[in-house]
Amino acid sequence: MGKNHLGEFEEIVMLTVAILHGEAYGVAIIEEMESRLNRTVSIGSLQVVLKRLEQKGYVSSEFGEATNIRGGKRKRFFTLTNLGKGLLKTSRDQRLSLWDAAPDYALKAISI
Amino acid sequence: MKSNHHSPPSILLKFFRWFCDPNLVEDIEGDMVERFEKRIENKGHKKARRLFVRDVFQLLRPGIIKSFSGHQKLNQIDMLKHNLLISFRSFMRYKSAFLINLIGLSSGLACTLFIYLWVQDERGIDKFHTNDANLYQVITHHEESGAIRTQDDTQGILAEALEKEVPEIEMALQSTPAFWFGDMPLTIGDKTIKAPGKFVDKRYFEMFTFPLIDGTAESVLASKESIVLSESLAKSLFNTTEGLIGKTLHWQLLNMERTYQIGGVFEDVPANSTETFDFVMSYEVFSDIVGDGMQWGNYNALTYVTLKPNVDVDHLNEKLAPFVKNKVSWSNVTPSLRPYSDKYLYSKYENGVQAGGRIEYVKLFSIISIIILIIACINFMNLSTAKASRKAKEVGVKKAIGAQRKTLIFQYMEESFLMTFVAIVLAIGLVLLFLPQFNDLTNKQISLVFDTNLVKALGAVLVITGFIAGSYPALYLSGLNSITALKGKMKSSIAELWARKGLVVFQFTISIILIVSVLIVHKQIDFVQNKNLGYEKENLVLFANEGKVATNHDAFIDRVKALPGVVNASSTAHTIINGGSTTTGLTWEGQNPEIETSFGNISVFHDFIETLGVEVIAGRSFSNELVSDSSKLILNEKAIEVIGMTDPVGKMVNLWGQDMQIIGVVKDFHFQSLHETVTPMFFKLDPSFLTNIVVRIEAGQERTVVDRIESVYKEYNPDFDFNFTFLDQDYAQQYASERRISTLSRCFGGIAIIISCLGLFGLAAFTAERKSKEIGVRKALGASSVSIVRLLSNEFNKMVGLAVLIALPLSYYLISGWLEGFAYQIDLKVWYFLGAGAAALFIAWLTVGLQTFKAAKINPSQSLRSE
Repeated sequence: MGKNHLGEFEEIVMLTVAILHGEAYGVAIIEEMESRLNRTVSIGSLQVVLKRLEQKGYVSSEFGEATNIRGGKRKRFFTLTNLGKGLLKTSRDQRLSLWDAAPDYALKAISI
Repeated sequence: MKSNHHSPPSILLKFFRWFCDPNLVEDIEGDMVERFEKRIENKGHKKARRLFVRDVFQLLRPGIIKSFSGHQKLNQIDMLKHNLLISFRSFMRYKSAFLINLIGLSSGLACTLFIYLWVQDERGIDKFHTNDANLYQVITHHEESGAIRTQDDTQGILAEALEKEVPEIEMALQSTPAFWFGDMPLTIGDKTIKAPGKFVDKRYFEMFTFPLIDGTAESVLASKESIVLSESLAKSLFNTTEGLIGKTLHWQLLNMERTYQIGGVFEDVPANSTETFDFVMSYEVFSDIVGDGMQWGNYNALTYVTLKPNVDVDHLNEKLAPFVKNKVSWSNVTPSLRPYSDKYLYSKYENGVQAGGRIEYVKLFSIISIIILIIACINFMNLSTAKASRKAKEVGVKKAIGAQRKTLIFQYMEESFLMTFVAIVLAIGLVLLFLPQFNDLTNKQISLVFDTNLVKALGAVLVITGFIAGSYPALYLSGLNSITALKGKMKSSIAELWARKGLVVFQFTISIILIVSVLIVHKQIDFVQNKNLGYEKENLVLFANEGKVATNHDAFIDRVKALPGVVNASSTAHTIINGGSTTTGLTWEGQNPEIETSFGNISVFHDFIETLGVEVIAGRSFSNELVSDSSKLILNEKAIEVIGMTDPVGKMVNLWGQDMQIIGVVKDFHFQSLHETVTPMFFKLDPSFLTNIVVRIEAGQERTVVDRIESVYKEYNPDFDFNFTFLDQDYAQQYASERRISTLSRCFGGIAIIISCLGLFGLAAFTAERKSKEIGVRKALGASSVSIVRLLSNEFNKMVGLAVLIALPLSYYLISGWLEGFAYQIDLKVWYFLGAGAAALFIAWLTVGLQTFKAAKINPSQSLRSE
C-alpha cells in the first residue's frame, strides 16, 4: 500500500463516482451516497475530498454544459483515472485476501 | 425566470463567493443552488432556506476557503515575506545590536506609555461631570497694593445675584470647600465617625454629577435639616446604604451641633475629582452660622455656574467684570469664570492673568517622553548605519539584479517597523509589570485599558517611531553605489560620520540637560521643605478643637499645659500651613484710599505666639492677665512696612470700624505656601472662633506625651477618636505633589541616560570590532592595553565633551526660567553644572571603557589569525 492509502470516505466517494459513471457531479454523488449508504454528506466535506483526490490524481474532472437549472452554473463531472481505478482494485483485492485469510468461525457472529 | 421567492438568500451567496476558492466557486455554487431547488420541492421553502444556511457554513473549512496569499501569487507579498525573513536573520545573527535596540526602544516606549497614561489621567481630572462643557467656577481678582491677587473664594451672596441678574447663566450655586472645617464628628447612637463635609446649595446634585444611590437630585437637600452621605460613610455608620432616608444623626462643629435627617446617599466621590467630601449639608445652615457676615466684602463660599448653550465666555467675562463694583462702589473685586475642569491644571494666576499651574508639569513630562523616544530612535539609527558595511554586500547584490531604491527603502522601513512593533509589545508588558510601582510613585490609580484612544496613540507611536528610526538607515543604505558596495570597500563619507557623531552629541546634550534639571529640581524642593519658616515646625502637635473640648476650651488648654512633657499649648482659627482668612478691613491713618491691602487675619488664643515660637521683635505678646488685650493687635514686619509706620508699638489702627492698638511686632514667618512670599498679617486675640489646638511638646518623648494629651482629650470627648498631626508632617504633605514630580523626573531622567549609554555602548562595541585588526597589529608591535583604550575612547570623549559644552549653558538658561516661578529660590552653584557634566563624562567613560578594555585585552593572535 505505502503512500497510496485510501481513507474510508475517499474510497466510498471514488466508488460512487464509478457507480454514476460519467454522470458524477456534486449533488448527484451526495444523493447517491445518501440513498445507498443512509448517511448524510455535506457539500463541504465532499468537495474537500474530491479536491484532494483530484490533486492525488485518482479522479479527473471537466465542466459540463451550462443549463437553466442550478442558477445557470455548470456542473463539474468527475471520472476515475486509471490510477484511481487501479487503486480501487488493489484496495478490493487486499480486502478480499484478508477476508479469505480470516477463518469462518472467527467472523461468525456469536449466538444471535 | 424564477421569482425572488425561490432563489437562495443572495447575501449568503455573496458571502460564499467572497470566501470560496475561485477554482471551486462555480460548481459548488451550482451544487448548492440545485440542492436548494430540489429541497424547495421536497421539503418546502422555509426548510430549504434553513438548510441552505447550514450548507454555506459547512463550507467554511480549510480547502474551500481561498488561501490568504490571494489567488494570484503577488510579488509584494513574497517580498514582504522575504524582507521579514532577512530582518529576522539579521536579528538572530547580531544579537547584541538587536538587544541594545530592543531594550532601548522598549524602555523608551514604556516611559512614553507611562507618561501618556499619567497625562491622560491628569487631563481627565474633574472631567466626569456630564455638563462639563458648560460648568464654570467663579473666581475673584482682587486689586491690592498695586497688584492683582486671584482667589477661588467668592462672596456667599454672589451666586444668587448672578443667577437672578445675568441671563446667560442658567444656574448658579454656592458651596463651601470641604477643607475649611476638617473632619467633623457625626454621631449615631454611641458611634461617632469624623468625616470631611461641606455646605452646599440644595441643587448641588443637579449641577454636579455625583450619582445618587438613594434619593433624587431635586429632593435630597430640599430641607434645611437634610444631610446627604457618601456610600462608604453610610456603610461605616449604618452598615448599609439602603432605607436610610429619614434616619437622624447628630452633627458637631466647634461648639455648634445639630440633628440632621438623612436625605440621600451618593456614590463615593471618584479619585479623579479635586473635591473630596463624605457628606454635604444645606448651605442655608452655613448662612445662619455666618449671619450678617453674608456681605459683599466677605468671602465665604465657592461659586459655580452653568451657562446656557452657545454663550461666549470671553464676552460674558467682560460683562461680569464690573458686577461686584456695581453692587458696592468701594469694592476692588473683579469676578470671572473659569471652566470647572481647568481648576486642577490651570490654577495659577499672576496679576489676574492665567499663568499655568500643574499643566506645566503635564507639558514638561510630555516633552520628556518625546525626548526619551527620540533618544531611543537615535540609538536605532546610529547602530543601523554603523553596521551598514555588513549590509553593503546585500544591498550591492540586490541592486545588481535590479532592485529599485524604493524597494530597498521599503525593506529597511519594514525592518524598523518590525523592531518597533516588537518593542511596543514588550513595552506594554513592562508597563503592566511596573504599573503598581508607578501608581505608588504618582499616588494615582491608573490602569492600562485598551480603549480606542490608547490604541490610536499606540498606532501613532508605532508609525512615528518606526518612521523616525527607519528613515535614516533606509535612505542611507538604499543610496549606496552598487559597485563600491559589492567591492566591500565601504568608505564612510565625512557627512555620514558627522551625522552619526552629531546624533550622539545631541543624545548626550539632552541627557546632560536632564541630569542638571533633575539635580536642581531636587535641590529646590529640598530647599523649600527645609527652609527656615520663622518658627520651629518640629514637635508641634495639631488637633481639632471640637466637641466638649470646644465648649470647655480654656479649661482644656490649662489641663494640657500642666501635662509633663508639654512645653506650651494654645489654639487658633488658622491652619498655619495652608493659609487662612484674609481681610481688607484694616485701615490706618495716612492710608492711600486707592490701594487696598489684604492682611492675613489670624485669630489666636493666649500663648499662641509663644507656642509657635515666632519671635517678637518689638513690644510684647498677648497677656493672660489683661482682658483689654482683645482690642489689641500684633502685626508682622511686612505689615508694618506696608503701613509705613516707624516705631509702631502703641499706635492705633482701625479694624472693621473698631480702633485697635498695636502692642507688638513679630518677625516675618511663613503662614502660607512657600510659592508665595510673606504677606502682611496680624494676630488678634479672639477666643470665640478657634478651630485648631496647637501643642508644643518636648523633643524625644513624642509618643508618651501625645498619649497623655489623648487621655485628657478622651475625658472631654470619650466617643471621639483623637486625630492629631505633627505640623512638620503636614508641611511635608503640602509639598507631596512637588516631591512626586521630583521623583518622577529623576526616574525618567535616569532612564534617558541609560538609553543614551546603551547606544554609546553599542557604538563602542562596533568600533572595537571594526578596529580589531588594527588593535592586533598595534599590540603585536608592543602597544600597551592602556594606550589602546585611550585610542579607542578618544573619539567618544570628544563627542561627550562637546555635548557637555553645549548642554551646560542651555540647561542654565532653562533651569533659571523654571526657578523664577518660586518665591524663594536656591542659588545656582557652579558645581551643579560641572557635577552633571562630570557625571555624564564618567558614565560615558565607563560604558566605552568596558568595551574598549575588552577589545584591548584580546590576544592579537586571535584577531590576526583570520584572513
